[in-house]
Amino acid sequence: MDITNLTFLFYGYSAGWIIITLFVLMLVARGRKIDGELARLKALVEDRER
Amino acid sequence: MSGLQAAWAIARKDLRTELRTKESINAAASFALVILVLFSFAFDLGREELYAISGGLLWLVYSFAGALIVNRGFAREVPNDCLDVLLASPAPAWSLFVGKAVSAFFLLMIVEAISLPVFGLFYNIRWMQNFPQLLVVILLATWGITVVGTAFSAVTVNVRLRELMLPVLLYPVLIPLLIGAMGTTTALFAGESLAGDNASSLRLLVGFDAIYTALAVYLIEYVLIV
Amino acid sequence: MREKATYLLALLAAVVMIGNLHTIFTQLPDEAMQGAVYRIIFVHVPAAINADIFFTIALVTAILFLATKKFIYDSVTVACVEVGAMLTLFNLVTGSIWGRNQWGIWWAWDLRMTGQLMCFLLYMGYLLVRPAISEPTQRATMSSIVAIFAYADIPLVLMAIRLPNVRTQHPGPVLETGGMAPAFRGPFAIGILAMFLISAALVLVRLHQETAQREIDSLRREVHAR
Repeated sequence: MDITNLTFLFYGYSAGWIIITLFVLMLVARGRKIDGELARLKALVEDRER
Repeated sequence: MSGLQAAWAIARKDLRTELRTKESINAAASFALVILVLFSFAFDLGREELYAISGGLLWLVYSFAGALIVNRGFAREVPNDCLDVLLASPAPAWSLFVGKAVSAFFLLMIVEAISLPVFGLFYNIRWMQNFPQLLVVILLATWGITVVGTAFSAVTVNVRLRELMLPVLLYPVLIPLLIGAMGTTTALFAGESLAGDNASSLRLLVGFDAIYTALAVYLIEYVLIV
Repeated sequence: MREKATYLLALLAAVVMIGNLHTIFTQLPDEAMQGAVYRIIFVHVPAAINADIFFTIALVTAILFLATKKFIYDSVTVACVEVGAMLTLFNLVTGSIWGRNQWGIWWAWDLRMTGQLMCFLLYMGYLLVRPAISEPTQRATMSSIVAIFAYADIPLVLMAIRLPNVRTQHPGPVLETGGMAPAFRGPFAIGILAMFLISAALVLVRLHQETAQREIDSLRREVHAR
């Protein structure tokens, strides 16, 4: 087996999974922000109602 | 007043205001000239190479100038809520759009007419040969630039950083049109005619114009009346 | 319920993907010409196919939003475009790495590469213009229009880059001509499925975020109104 080709196979698959992981991390970060904001606003609304 | 008459009235109004102040036409024409000068410093080319990139060069200049012109299209109507008044008038939204596109088309044609001889002069390109065919290509591609540009100018009229957003949206969509126009223009400068391979480029230009004119005229109602 | 469905989908995606990777890496022989590196095709091409699927869904929901003005369609559009853009990037990067190995260059202005890159730029325009519009209805309308314009450009891009002056060195269309060896077909099809499941799970997550964001916006208005 040609070792260079194996190296590039590794590069290819790692790059692919890194892209997906980064996208997931982006989603998680945005999700956290949204959850925090939602909790804050809900508390605010309840506060005002009392 | 029919829709087309209304469109013509809008186009006349826009052209008259523009030709009185000459704001965007002056800016676009001088910008085009500056770019032409800059390119001559960027490349130090022999005659053959110059002919090989001539079409690309010309259409880069034209599309830059085009973005400057269509940018003003709907933005012109924002102060004093003119856009709301125009929409409240009996003229349908599509004739407003067609009027704006036609006036932008004429303005861009003026800028192109100014910069084409300068281009020929600076770069020693003999653009007069095949002039009727060149005119066909220029008319088709210019209409494509202005119709897509005017549609995006309506989309971005209320967007933050409008002047930056318009080119970001406009240029990727224009790529097929520019590929076709650049290829045919280079071929025409080299003395070829509009047959064979160049005919398929020409068909691409016609198809682009047809698809985007139809889409824009149909969708503009949704853009303007939110 | 929704959360469970997302987790289930992600789990299923992981099982299918890992099973398929097992087949690809341990069962399949090396390809005669390329050695081991050909295995990139099992994620590279499925990414492109799935990007097309999600862009098409985005087109349909963009049209549905304009027709019905229901915000759920806009949320689906943005979720699909974002995942589609990510898949296009995946496709471009893995392809580029394969190209460096097989062609010796990272990038060639080849037909399909150019097409994919244009696609990426068009939809990046969509993702950039969206946050620049603050009013919700306007944001949804304008970005739907941009999504429709972007999709209409794809056939034109394909036509433009097929023009004779554009060169290609991409591997031929093995799928349509049935040139792929029978042993590779199964893992290839499962590869498409696996990539679809992963992307669908991501779309669901993104969709949920978009609805939560809408809830936040309406709560904000409620708070400010009082």
